[in-house]
Amino acid sequence: MSQPTRTRLVRLAGAIALGASLLLPTAAPAGAADPVVLTVGTTQDLDASNPFNTALVSGYEVFQLTYNLLVEFDKDAHPAPGFADSWERSPDKVTFHIRDGMTFSDGSAATSKDVCFSWGLAMDAIKHDANIGYGYLDPGVKDAGVTKIECPDPSTFVAYTTDQSDRIFQVYVPILPQHVWSKFDYKSIADQKFDPPLVGSGPYTLQEWKTGQYARFVRNPSYWGNKGFADEVVIRFFPDQTDVMVQALKSGEVDYAHDVNPDQFKALGADPTYTAVAGKANGWSQLAFNTYGTGTGKTIKDGGPSTKALLDPAFRDALGYAVDRQALVDRVLGGYGDVGTTMVPPVLSDWHVEPDRPRHFDIELAKQKLDAAGYKLDANGKRLDKEGKPITLRLDHPNTNDSYAKSAQFVKEWYGQLGIDVVVQSLDSDTLSNLILPPPDGKADYDIELWGWSGNPDPNGLTIVFRCDQIDNLSDSQYCNPDYDKLYDQNTQEAGAQRHDTLAKMQNLIYDEAPYDILYYDSNLDVYRNDRFAGWQNMPANGTPFFTYGPLDYTLLTDATAAPSATPPPSADAGASASPVAGSPAAPTTASGASAAPTTAPSGGESTTGSSSNTPLLLGVVVLAVIVIVAGFVWTRRRRAGGVDDDE
Amino acid sequence: MSAHYILRKLVQAILTIVAIVALNFVLFRMMPGSPERATKNPHLTPEFIAAERAKWGLDKPLFPDQLVAFAISTAQGDLGYSIKYRGQPVVEVVADAAGPTVLLIGIGEAIAIVVGLWLGARSGWRRGGVMDRIGNSLSLIFYSMPYFVIGMPLIIIFAAGLGWFPTSGMTTPGGDKGPAEALFDLGRHLVLPVTAVALGLIGAYSILMRSSIVETRSEDYITTARAKGLPDALVLRSHAFPNALLPMVTLIAINLGYVVAGAITAEIVFNWPGLGLLTVQALDARDYPLLQAIFLLIAVSVVFANFAADIVYGYLDPRVRA
Repeated sequence: MSQPTRTRLVRLAGAIALGASLLLPTAAPAGAADPVVLTVGTTQDLDASNPFNTALVSGYEVFQLTYNLLVEFDKDAHPAPGFADSWERSPDKVTFHIRDGMTFSDGSAATSKDVCFSWGLAMDAIKHDANIGYGYLDPGVKDAGVTKIECPDPSTFVAYTTDQSDRIFQVYVPILPQHVWSKFDYKSIADQKFDPPLVGSGPYTLQEWKTGQYARFVRNPSYWGNKGFADEVVIRFFPDQTDVMVQALKSGEVDYAHDVNPDQFKALGADPTYTAVAGKANGWSQLAFNTYGTGTGKTIKDGGPSTKALLDPAFRDALGYAVDRQALVDRVLGGYGDVGTTMVPPVLSDWHVEPDRPRHFDIELAKQKLDAAGYKLDANGKRLDKEGKPITLRLDHPNTNDSYAKSAQFVKEWYGQLGIDVVVQSLDSDTLSNLILPPPDGKADYDIELWGWSGNPDPNGLTIVFRCDQIDNLSDSQYCNPDYDKLYDQNTQEAGAQRHDTLAKMQNLIYDEAPYDILYYDSNLDVYRNDRFAGWQNMPANGTPFFTYGPLDYTLLTDATAAPSATPPPSADAGASASPVAGSPAAPTTASGASAAPTTAPSGGESTTGSSSNTPLLLGVVVLAVIVIVAGFVWTRRRRAGGVDDDE
Repeated sequence: MSAHYILRKLVQAILTIVAIVALNFVLFRMMPGSPERATKNPHLTPEFIAAERAKWGLDKPLFPDQLVAFAISTAQGDLGYSIKYRGQPVVEVVADAAGPTVLLIGIGEAIAIVVGLWLGARSGWRRGGVMDRIGNSLSLIFYSMPYFVIGMPLIIIFAAGLGWFPTSGMTTPGGDKGPAEALFDLGRHLVLPVTAVALGLIGAYSILMRSSIVETRSEDYITTARAKGLPDALVLRSHAFPNALLPMVTLIAINLGYVVAGAITAEIVFNWPGLGLLTVQALDARDYPLLQAIFLLIAVSVVFANFAADIVYGYLDPRVRA
């Protein structure tokens, strides 16, 4: 026998066992004074900690935790005290009062000069007709009609405006501490990396960022608002790894998982350990028709729409009857979304209206409308345009999300029933963006673009897309209608019911003219654990607790193990999307005492995973069993073969 | 081993690297989205465009000026700035990711080499024995499984189910950990990914080693050794094993070259912050400077590993030295 080899094996096994025993959690030191850490998982990687250089939801979350806005958002996404604790409006200006005695996380005073510095960056950019970084944040100041800013004393900030709109209370410009960033102007600030630790006035400031891994925030000891239960917040990134994120949620490593898929959402929602929230996204997915040349008669050599039919509102209207939006919601989104209609999403409930003349799914009606509009079938059953050419539409969509690809196949099928061929193409986002650009930058060589938008608390973020001056910029329908632009300009000057009427006109105009066919309003599927933190609020009521407007919910969380409560637990029903917190108290801001906590008293620590994790454990055992069976099969086969040439 | 042999191999390696740098230059200038496109903006004045082109050296001919400039800056370690990592120098980004990969794949490789060679030798030596049947079939199964197929069950059972190890990542965020605690934390995070990588690699080693041992076993000198009455174990250890090791050197060298490249699927499943994950991120973001640097690093390390294999081979096998 090969004795030496075996001895070595035994020694090796011993070493492995020793190593393993050292690593088992039983040996883990458990300090009593460890900080309470709230861990949030998302599949989106953070792109930048510089607020001006992020294009992602995760980046907004990071700067909203670290910095205050001048005016923050309450749980209904309405303006609420932030860096300024009160304000008055007069005809030509708004006077903001900065919070008394407020300090940044480093202890230095936070005053109006910090606002003048931060808003001043945006004012300078506007003056030079430029943007800061990606240019998502600073245009808010322009859109609010701000002409001049002043800081007469440390506790007063004055903004002069051309109009009376509410947008000045929704300006997404983070208030940076001037003493840290004063060296930089509107150009150079975009080149700064904003390496942590950062100094801010928000509830939790960015302390550490490991790219692709996590961002860690520590409590700002001088924060003026509610004190959340968590001492630290960790946002963990799981790029392209929804499965692993869900496993981490199950093991308790993660308390909150953002953007799981519909199957996981259903499975987790059925388990009382978790609450699943389908939050309505402020955005939509659409078919954008290339209407280049509408009104102007311009054409593009070797580009533009392949048929003039796309320029005809009657043609686009007829197509609208051929799309079963409910089927898309059910079969593409797994039921988690809403049928699309007008361009202001229902989540902006103050401004959204349903169309006056809604279209419904009716293929026969679509055919009749096409016939009536002069688009006849030829002998082969192909629909002809007015030039007598069979209509074949090119539909392009980005490869970022498989719901686009699925929706495209449905549309192809439905349009096919009208006698219109559809050629579907999947492209990467950059290529598609370039394809859409009209002259002078491109050729707008497409017919239909299937993509989506997401907006701001103010509807202007989305309605601006249809303006004439957005052609060769944001516009992906090349739509231009001076009447619409007039309404848009009017809406920026108005507020309240007046603005609502104007926005209703705008929504109906775009719906009737149909440069877009809005397919569905998407959902954010988020799931959180009930055993460590309580006090979750959806913000707004039809949204999700996190990855929304402002960091309020982080400050409202309480200890789930502390106080048993009479309040029923949040509904863990997957269908809770409609009104999950409809019965919640109107004023949740005093979150110190008893708030919503699960009645099923959760036991802290590892044991809570017991019931919920049986399924994956079983799955694992099955996988192991399969391996053993296959191994046995190979073995017996080998044995039979081995009988022939047993020993050489 | 002659100095001439080493010199010849060294020159070959250097020539290969020069070719790679040149290829890197050509390849990434063929990709869509060159800086030239930005200068086609009609809103820019001709003077501004000319100034920008001069600033970036685009006014000079591609060959030789731009190629030479590229080669010089590459040699100086200046590989440009990452797009995805918002202007961080590419060298820094890559260096940050290299450590975790070397740690993970290095340990995984080491375990796989030791276990794989031992398993293969045992299986081949006693062909048809219990060890051969179980070991060889398990090797085949794991060899044919991608890392994420091995990794997901590990996560489901040992992380989410039993809660023994963390699901993913390299460190637990937060707190001021002492060095011992930090090392312990790293160790816990390492267990599952290392297991997955080692399981996936053992098969390759043990299968090749097995066939090599089987072949060696039928050689005359083995029969002679056994005829001399040497103990079985000694024959395996001193006569069969060293000779069967020769083909393994190539495999080990090539695999070690890929230690730097990382196991992309393993790193993704465990969200391990190494070069494999970085490659995917760079691809997603179309971060060409970053991709270029990773490409260069992988190519150079594979060339270097092959160079090392040639040297070791020359040392082990006198026949190739000539």
